[in-house]
Amino acid sequence: MRLRTDDDIYRARLVYLGPPGYTLPVHLPYAQYGLFLLLVPLYMFIHWLFTLTVELFPAWEIALAIVTTSFIFRHVDPDRPARVVIRTALTDWRRTREPAVEQRDPRLVGSRIRIREELA
Amino acid sequence: MSRSSTPGSPAGRPGVPAGHRAHSFDYTEDEDEVALDPALVTSPGHGAVGVFQAPRPVPRRTPPAEPSAVSAGENADIDSPFLDLFGGGGRPGSPRAVTAGPSTREQPPIPHQPPPTASPAPARAVPELEPPWTPAEPPGNGGRPVEPRHGGGHPASESRVPHQAGDRRPMLRPPDEPDPSTGEGSPSATTGPVRRPASTAPGGRPAATARPAVQAPQPAAAASRSTAPPEQPAMITSADRPALERTARRATGKEVVAPRQRTASRPDRPIKPTRVRAPKIKFGDRDPSVELAITEIAGHLTFTPNTVTAWYWLPEVRWAFRPDAEREALLSAISEQYAGLAGFRLHLRRTTRPFPADEWARTIDTHTSAPLPDVPGTTGWADHLVAAQRHLMAVNHAEGQTYLGVTFARRSLGDSLTERLLRTFGRGTADGERRKLGRTVEQFDEVLGAFGMRGRRVTAQELEWLLYRSVALCMSPPSTLSPVTDGRWERGDLLAMTEQVERYRTPYGSTVKLVNRMTGEERHVAVLAVGRMEPLEIPERHEPWLHFHERLPWPMEISTRVDILGSGDSFRNLEHRLRMIRSQQLDYAEHGIDAPPELERLAKRALVIGDEMTTGLPVDSARAHGWHRIAVGGRTREECLERARRLIQLYSRELRISLQHPKNQDWLAREFIPGEPIANTGYVRRMPVPLLAAALPQAASNVGDRRGDLIGRTAGTCRRPVFLDLHFPMEVRERSGLAVFVAEPGGGKSTLLGALGYLAARRGVQVTLLDPSGPLARLCAMPELRPYSRVLNLTGSEHGTLAPYSLIPTPLRSEFGTGAPGDREFEIAVSNARAERRMLVQDICMMLVPPQVAREASTATLFRHAVRQVPAEETSTLDDVVSCLGRLDDDAGKELANLLLDTAEMPLAMLFFGRPPEGLLGADAALTVITMAGLRLPDLKIEREYWSAEEALALPMLHTAHRLAVRRCYGGSMSSRKLVGLDEAHFMEGWRSGRSFLVRLARDSRKWNLAALVASQNPKDILGLDVQNLVSTVFVGRIAEDAEIASEALRLLRVPVNDGYEATLASLSAADTSSSSRLGFREFVMRDVDGRVQKVRVDVSYVEGLLDHLDTTPAAIAAAAGVLPSIPLPDLEA
Repeated sequence: MRLRTDDDIYRARLVYLGPPGYTLPVHLPYAQYGLFLLLVPLYMFIHWLFTLTVELFPAWEIALAIVTTSFIFRHVDPDRPARVVIRTALTDWRRTREPAVEQRDPRLVGSRIRIREELA
Repeated sequence: MSRSSTPGSPAGRPGVPAGHRAHSFDYTEDEDEVALDPALVTSPGHGAVGVFQAPRPVPRRTPPAEPSAVSAGENADIDSPFLDLFGGGGRPGSPRAVTAGPSTREQPPIPHQPPPTASPAPARAVPELEPPWTPAEPPGNGGRPVEPRHGGGHPASESRVPHQAGDRRPMLRPPDEPDPSTGEGSPSATTGPVRRPASTAPGGRPAATARPAVQAPQPAAAASRSTAPPEQPAMITSADRPALERTARRATGKEVVAPRQRTASRPDRPIKPTRVRAPKIKFGDRDPSVELAITEIAGHLTFTPNTVTAWYWLPEVRWAFRPDAEREALLSAISEQYAGLAGFRLHLRRTTRPFPADEWARTIDTHTSAPLPDVPGTTGWADHLVAAQRHLMAVNHAEGQTYLGVTFARRSLGDSLTERLLRTFGRGTADGERRKLGRTVEQFDEVLGAFGMRGRRVTAQELEWLLYRSVALCMSPPSTLSPVTDGRWERGDLLAMTEQVERYRTPYGSTVKLVNRMTGEERHVAVLAVGRMEPLEIPERHEPWLHFHERLPWPMEISTRVDILGSGDSFRNLEHRLRMIRSQQLDYAEHGIDAPPELERLAKRALVIGDEMTTGLPVDSARAHGWHRIAVGGRTREECLERARRLIQLYSRELRISLQHPKNQDWLAREFIPGEPIANTGYVRRMPVPLLAAALPQAASNVGDRRGDLIGRTAGTCRRPVFLDLHFPMEVRERSGLAVFVAEPGGGKSTLLGALGYLAARRGVQVTLLDPSGPLARLCAMPELRPYSRVLNLTGSEHGTLAPYSLIPTPLRSEFGTGAPGDREFEIAVSNARAERRMLVQDICMMLVPPQVAREASTATLFRHAVRQVPAEETSTLDDVVSCLGRLDDDAGKELANLLLDTAEMPLAMLFFGRPPEGLLGADAALTVITMAGLRLPDLKIEREYWSAEEALALPMLHTAHRLAVRRCYGGSMSSRKLVGLDEAHFMEGWRSGRSFLVRLARDSRKWNLAALVASQNPKDILGLDVQNLVSTVFVGRIAEDAEIASEALRLLRVPVNDGYEATLASLSAADTSSSSRLGFREFVMRDVDGRVQKVRVDVSYVEGLLDHLDTTPAAIAAAAGVLPSIPLPDLEA
């Protein structure tokens, strides 16, 4: 029996070619644009926190968002969606603030689980 | 002193005499005793009490003149919270003031004491000391301190005292004794009182919490105490104290201690009876813990706040050496079962259980009624078993366990709220909910119980085991613990042990570190996710892809979380994807760019799959979307990563599956725990259900019985120990005991034969080995066997040793049933024996005369005639046949007689003539090795005409020698275990008597409990003899030269021929060409009595010296003969 996964179908590269009538010089996945569009306001907000002003053309924010997006998408592949990459980065990032090189995680304790031999 | 004692002890109870004091003291001791008595330990509380005792030494410290200082010291140097408790009680510096605190703690104990004191108080004052002790002791007997104490007060109780006192003292004393000395040294009242609190606290009072636990266990006692305590304590304290103190001073060092404790406590007690609380333990570092998501286990269901999961146990299935059709049937059955679970989320977990070596050892020991007596200076039977167990542990065999969880219900808010509410009352999920679920779950029983997975519901214990193993991922389980056989573990114990497991990790680290706080065990775990998979041809070319990892010698864990999508869901999912692809294609077209060709290919594939889904069976349409992870553990980080690397390599090379090693390891590790959330959505694999079925993590390769000797391990797709008891087929399965060994020369037949013979001999089996070439004779030189073994070298034997007539035993009447049928059977057996003798004698005669003569028709006639003349009894000889031939009128007959006499001139042929010497093969020796050293065996491929005279003689000698070896087994009792090992059995082929011999052997093996091992170079010999149906165990070694022989061997194994398994036989024991050292092991394909076939690597290296003695290489033989200085030989596995 020859058995294969359906993964390749989900591995198709879906890219944004540009608006109708105009083809962008670089073709990036849709997700990348999405992430970029999320990051710009985020950086603007952070900027606002510092300066309490909103710039008309957020040049710095756009630049940072581009860098961040490309950095994140360097780690993205069909098996590892951007969501996972960001989440991994964030969860592990949180821990790095602790001074210790090795951080104890909470113990996972099962002693409070109730046990019945029979269901009913 | 008295004052102090009184105040403290009574806790406001005035009327307690000294005697009472003593009692109370005893009480504490009694409690201790109770705790120590295993029979009485019914609850964890007891254990707690026991723990408290340990700190007792504290009292010693207090005794010194300066109590306060001492106490401080105590506190300082010991961390234990319990010690703090004692310290508090003991703070002697300001006994009274301080005691206030301690008193509260101690009060609980007091209540116990009072009962005894109250009654005895009056009389006790003087005798107090002794009686009080005694009373306390009596309670110890029954574990009910209370009663004795009451008695103690009474005369009757006093009488008991002496006996009990003696008994208990030893136990109680040790802790107290230190005190007495101190007390004596500084008899001052203050010290005494101070002590009291301290000592009492440790004894039983220390923590109010401890108390309740103690009392619970002793219901009877508790009742009495509880009633009595309130009233009496106060009284006792006042009155008793003095008495106690006196006693202490007087002489009994031990006693002294006790009194003190009380005195100290008393001052405080009167104040308040508040409960003592164990101080909160505070650690400098964080000590966080998180509850698992699972809140309840009920039968085979687990509950999390949102979901319910039903767990099933998937038994192991055989995979290796099965016909592909069978495997495909299995896989399709399993995939149908998965498809039947469409709509549910599955959690497939594979964990391991260390092989219970001790269990096995116990089993084999019980099946070994009379092991070979130990020879001083060598490894005895016990040591032999221990060595085997050590070997088992060292090789790290693990048994797999596969669990399948079906998450099937989303709980309603009401249900989980109800559960929360009920939990506060100590009850879990509501009855109604469980009853409702119970009915829903039955559908899974139906789906999973059928052929394929054959799942059964797990038990709560197994779930506990799974939870523990998942939390303590890859760690060694608690010693002596097994989920199946060990009844000592109470419900919930195992889960409680998860508290000890701490988890560490480094940011973005590639492993998680798990530390068991109690044992100090440290494990590093790397979790790998199954990444891209290439197409697999599972039954034909590839192993099941989640079974594959078991090739590696260390245990791993598997967790698979999949959503099974039914046809509707999966089609929708696919269609969405297809539309996206199409739209992308359209985009490219609009922009006038060439679309990458893959898009079209993928779209087509999606269309095909979509078509399959919509028109095919549920099995074709169901999809499994999910995450597959493998956890690898190691003692160090490096080891763990090295193992992960090897696993990744193995998978990419052999299966073309890329295992990924993602970050976020702690989350991934947590995903292994049932009920915990999925770590992340990366590496989701979307596959048709048959591919998931082909993962087959429950595949296994067990072979052999579990009650025999350890002979090695399976070497196929996974590693399991192999045990073989050659009497198992007869004694349990009621099959014949014929075992066949087939291999090319050098395949390890003889060594295996020798090893099995040795192991059986150790178990007290009467072993006879026929080894024509002779190396096995060295077995008899092994120190542990030497006194019980003998070697019979036929080439140097006396005349008549192989006299054919006597080789076939006459049946005894006692072997048959009584009555007429028995008579008939007996008669038939006797005449059969006669017929067989005639047949054997004819064959031997034919072998002795030159082949040209034998070929003539008249020869056979004449022999038959002569043999008919001679009575076919054991007492007849070949000489009778010769003389009979000589008496014939026929010239040809005379000629034949002369020919036979000619051969008789050769020394070896003399073995056939004459009568056998008496007592040739006694039944006494545990191991007898029959050799024919120096005999030149002919090559059967060469015509007989070209054999030398010596070679020609070898043939009848081998025939008769085989019979001789078996003959010995008919000497003893029928039921005793016997084993015969026959090497070079291929010489039996082509002769009538040879076949009858093997058939007889197989038939008799059951009746006589005789295990017969027959080794041959060519399976055709056995197949040709047509005794295949009587063969119970088969070992096939390396057969690389002749494809025909290989397929014959497969037929013997009952493995499909021409299915590619011939290559497996050729690759057995394959030498590593790059290495110049000798091959250290031998492999066989083994078929056991239950028809399971596995590749087995024989390894008896755990028996010291066995391999050296079995080594058949020329160098080793020379070394053994003393020609060469002994050279250290490399270990040779079989």
